Amino acid sequence: MIEFRELSLIYPNGTEGLRNINIKINEGGEFVVIVGLSGAGKSTFIRSINRLVTPTNGALLVENEDILKLKGKDLRRLRTKIGMIFQSYNLVKRSTVIKNVISGRLGYTGTFKSILNIFSKEDKLLAYENLKRVNIEEKLYNRADELSGGQQQRVSIARVLTQKPKLILADEPVASLDPPTSHQVMKYLKQINQEDNITTIVNLHFIDMAME
Amino acid sequence: MNKSSSYVPKGLYPFKTKLIISLALIVVISFYLLSSIKTESFIIDFFMKVPNVFGLVGDFFPPDWSYVNQVWPKLFETIHMAIIATTIAVIISIPFSLLTANNVTTNTWIYQLMRFLLNIVRTVPDIILAVVFVGLFGIGAFSGIMALIIFAVGILVKLMSEVIETIDMNPTEAIRASGGNGLQTISFAIIPQVLPQFISFSLYVFEINIRASLVLGLVGAGGIGQLLNKEINFMNYPAVSTIIIIVFIVVVIIDYISGKLRGGLI
Repeated sequence: MIEFRELSLIYPNGTEGLRNINIKINEGGEFVVIVGLSGAGKSTFIRSINRLVTPTNGALLVENEDILKLKGKDLRRLRTKIGMIFQSYNLVKRSTVIKNVISGRLGYTGTFKSILNIFSKEDKLLAYENLKRVNIEEKLYNRADELSGGQQQRVSIARVLTQKPKLILADEPVASLDPPTSHQVMKYLKQINQEDNITTIVNLHFIDMAME
Repeated sequence: MNKSSSYVPKGLYPFKTKLIISLALIVVISFYLLSSIKTESFIIDFFMKVPNVFGLVGDFFPPDWSYVNQVWPKLFETIHMAIIATTIAVIISIPFSLLTANNVTTNTWIYQLMRFLLNIVRTVPDIILAVVFVGLFGIGAFSGIMALIIFAVGILVKLMSEVIETIDMNPTEAIRASGGNGLQTISFAIIPQVLPQFISFSLYVFEINIRASLVLGLVGAGGIGQLLNKEINFMNYPAVSTIIIIVFIVVVIIDYISGKLRGGLI
């Protein structure tokens, strides 16, 4: 369960990101869509949950734990449980697809091993299986920048799945894609939400897509 | 129709601009003359002393080809020095370039301190470093290698930190969001983005080190420069010209190979 209690965020430059937000999102496979104009605070809302931004007031509970005070190791433990999908995919363009996907395991892998690219057989299998789920397994060894926008977003979904998250945050996942590709990406997100029972929170700025 | 104008523009530039340019010209010429008089060097001397130049150049010819066999060991010493110095400098410069990139080192104090230290390192010319190390460790290749390492680290860190500052930071956000720690973010999201440039700069620094190690020999820091210095002092000019020709050829070959490799990288 995620609970926002009187949550406010004011950026250092004085911009107000959030003001007194109170909301409860139940875990167990909810699919929540947040719609709003750009600048309304959707990104700030979603980025508060994995603490990419830190709210300045109130409390934010994830699994009954106030996450605003988390630091270092505890914060990374929280983040391994929360997958995130970005508008600009945020893949490492010069790395291969499989390396991008397996980076979802970093939170579970020791620093030394991961720097030497040593991942367990299970991790590699998991990464490959997740690429298969978004139907892009044939691009395994392609560099990420050789893929189209829709394909890159599918790779980033596979990366999030490899993280085995309890919650997926998607910040404008289709804003840079054309309508047919957008539908395809949304279809994968919904499918994962239903099959794996992962609570999913999506930011969108199209009402029509949110209605679907 | 032809209405005659009462005003004819005097020039293409306003009076004020002309005045400033004229004054600037006078100032530059006076400084030039003052410097020439104070140092008693006039460019005309070059033409007066051209016969001297030809005389000296004549001493260098023909090159003493029998001297070639004495050149090889020292030439290889120079190359070995450059290889050792470049390798160690590359390893040292990785953490330092991360610490002097303001998008990785977000702590302003550490960032400013590291930049300050590296600026100091860079202001020391390589030849001064060599003089210092020859004083500390004695004459020989080791002093030269130490000087080259510090010299190369200064260049590499400067070039690399600038490359790191221009990378796309979005992938680092994705790695952090998935629970990766600082070192994992560096190795997964930053290193892949800068690796080609890093290798390219390393080769470039290798080229610079080869040339720099020639000069360092002049102060006794090993390599072929030391041989060159010795032969100049003995006024054995045919041997000097042999050394210069060989060095020229080797530097051109190494620059060519390294240039080709770098071209393939980016």
